[in-house]
Amino acid sequence: MKKTVKTIAVFASALCLLASRPMAARADMPYETYNFNFWGEEVLQPHSYLYSGSISTAQIGSALRYPQDMCIFEDHIYVADTGNSRILILNLDGSTAREVTAADGAEDLLNQPQGVFVTDAGHLYVADSGNSRIVEYDEDLNFIREIGRPETNLISASQAYTPVRLVVDHSDRIYVIAYGINMGLVEFDKDGVFQGFMGATEVSVSTFEYIWKNYFSTEAQQARMETIIPTEYSDIFVDDENFIYATISNLSEEDHMQGADMVRRLNPTGTDVLRRLGNNDITGDLNGRSFSTFVDVAATDYGCYFILDSAGGKIFAYDYDGNSLFAFGKKGIKEGNVQQPVALALGDGQDKIYVLDNTLGSILTFEITDYGRHLLDALRLNDIGDAEGSNREWQAVIQSNSNNEMAYIGLGKTYLAEGNYKQAMEYFRLGNSRKYYTKAFFYYRKELMEANFGKAMLVLGLGIVIGLAVYYVFRFRRWVGEVKCFMSKR
Amino acid sequence: MLYVETIKYGFYVITHPLDGFWGIRRENKGSLAAAFTFVVLTILTLTIEKQNTGFLFNMNRLSELNVLVDIFTVLLVYVLWCVANWCTTSLMEGKGRMKDILIAIGYALLPIILIRLPMVVMSHMITADEGTFYYVLGTISYLWTGLLIFTGTMTIHQYSISKTIVTIAITVVAMGILMFIGLLFFNVIQQMLTFVMTIYRELRFR
Repeated sequence: MKKTVKTIAVFASALCLLASRPMAARADMPYETYNFNFWGEEVLQPHSYLYSGSISTAQIGSALRYPQDMCIFEDHIYVADTGNSRILILNLDGSTAREVTAADGAEDLLNQPQGVFVTDAGHLYVADSGNSRIVEYDEDLNFIREIGRPETNLISASQAYTPVRLVVDHSDRIYVIAYGINMGLVEFDKDGVFQGFMGATEVSVSTFEYIWKNYFSTEAQQARMETIIPTEYSDIFVDDENFIYATISNLSEEDHMQGADMVRRLNPTGTDVLRRLGNNDITGDLNGRSFSTFVDVAATDYGCYFILDSAGGKIFAYDYDGNSLFAFGKKGIKEGNVQQPVALALGDGQDKIYVLDNTLGSILTFEITDYGRHLLDALRLNDIGDAEGSNREWQAVIQSNSNNEMAYIGLGKTYLAEGNYKQAMEYFRLGNSRKYYTKAFFYYRKELMEANFGKAMLVLGLGIVIGLAVYYVFRFRRWVGEVKCFMSKR
Repeated sequence: MLYVETIKYGFYVITHPLDGFWGIRRENKGSLAAAFTFVVLTILTLTIEKQNTGFLFNMNRLSELNVLVDIFTVLLVYVLWCVANWCTTSLMEGKGRMKDILIAIGYALLPIILIRLPMVVMSHMITADEGTFYYVLGTISYLWTGLLIFTGTMTIHQYSISKTIVTIAITVVAMGILMFIGLLFFNVIQQMLTFVMTIYRELRFR
């Protein structure tokens, strides 16, 4: 009898244990979140963003056909619904608020617009690709103006001009990516006057290639060879400092092998100023088997940026210095997977990430987790100079993920500032940062030397004294011996 | 000659290479035991260097360190060089015997031990900015050893400088050929063993 009771008790407690196990809710995400360590290996880490639903036909009320671009302004999502030749303005819950199909009057229809942008003042800019023009609307969606083909002899008259993406910076300069124009971004001033091309990607030809092409190959071979064309940008984003993030997607395998830029941060003169100080290159996946294709980018105002990779259906996050923060997302057919992602936008600060999928015709939303919030907050607080707050956030990050090298470096920096050099060294070692380790070590060594200089000198002095004493004692004894010998000889 | 004295002679060799190697060839001042001691110490030095160099200068991934691989790499290169050198020099009228080559190369490794071992200690005491000294020392250790191998080969075989250069080049090629033959041999043996094993199994299962 007793035994039965015992057995039941054991079973009951076992059941309790099973029931109280933390729910594996996070594990059923249709993707994994990982980051790259110092050695460039993928290391799984807690999810930074969780899939939280999608906006598709049911919410919108009509189907999207091959949408190309998306922009978020205040409480609305602006979608360039290219296949339906319209701009859709959605509320954040997905219901349609407005629809724009015409430009100047009801007769003047949009034709497959591929790019959409909303300025700080709420003005809507549309890249009306089919009509080769940019259209501007005011905050009430009244037509203001259209900006046509740039008037310049830099592009020949026969060359098509198809604007596909555009941004307007905070000084109202307009930057446009156009198909077939490989001289960089097309820049218009605020009156819509063509200013020039900006941020042209350099053509890189190796010496060997140049000599081979020009001196050793026949004309037939030359004709068959690919002509060297500079890369075109795939998408642009303007950040709060008027700098333009631009992604490049049409790279060949060779370009990837040679380490061609996949994303740039252009200053107003068109020079790439993206910081590449991380341990790994900013190339998305690093495995060398498959290459990422960057199709869109969005940045926070503290310099972190998110890049959308259409090849793997992933989102990669980097900080201001170019350290990779995390990567998540997957191509597939499960809910929460993407098929052909084309655009990315941040909502609610950066608490939500919206991804527009061209094939699915829907917008996937991802919501930040506590872990992701701690990580981004640590960087944000660091950016505004709140070291204490940043430290607190890094502690929280380490608690969830002891593999996070950046957190170790972040905490190490605090210890370094506090003057706790030994601890700082240990953290920099864990974070694999030789750059900061050597700083901490320099001060640690100085401290050690200053503290022990007296002792060291004492030991050295004593050593010299004892050494001299021994030497002289021996000399004296030898001298005594010699004297004795001398005496005895006499 | 006493073992201890042949060890001491190593210090004379690295500072007076021409005279020193001549002493090894003609006056039997070196010994195989000392040479092997230096080889073992070199292996030890390189292993300690990999494991214990300070974090700032240590780019090795300690979790993937395999001491056996390091040991066999050094041993293989040492033996392969000596055999290849002996093969070429016996065809090219070299005066050195196998023993001389083994001793000369062993003694030539001494700078690596003498410089790189203190470098491990040093790496814990300097910052990255002062790393230049560290790297210069490292380069010196290898240059010194390289120079010793060159002079050693020249002296024990009684070659001119140009002939030594040619010999060393041929030795390197010969090392490659030896490696190739070795791999081929291993492969064939493996195939044969598999064949025999298959027949044995076949017979047993009948």
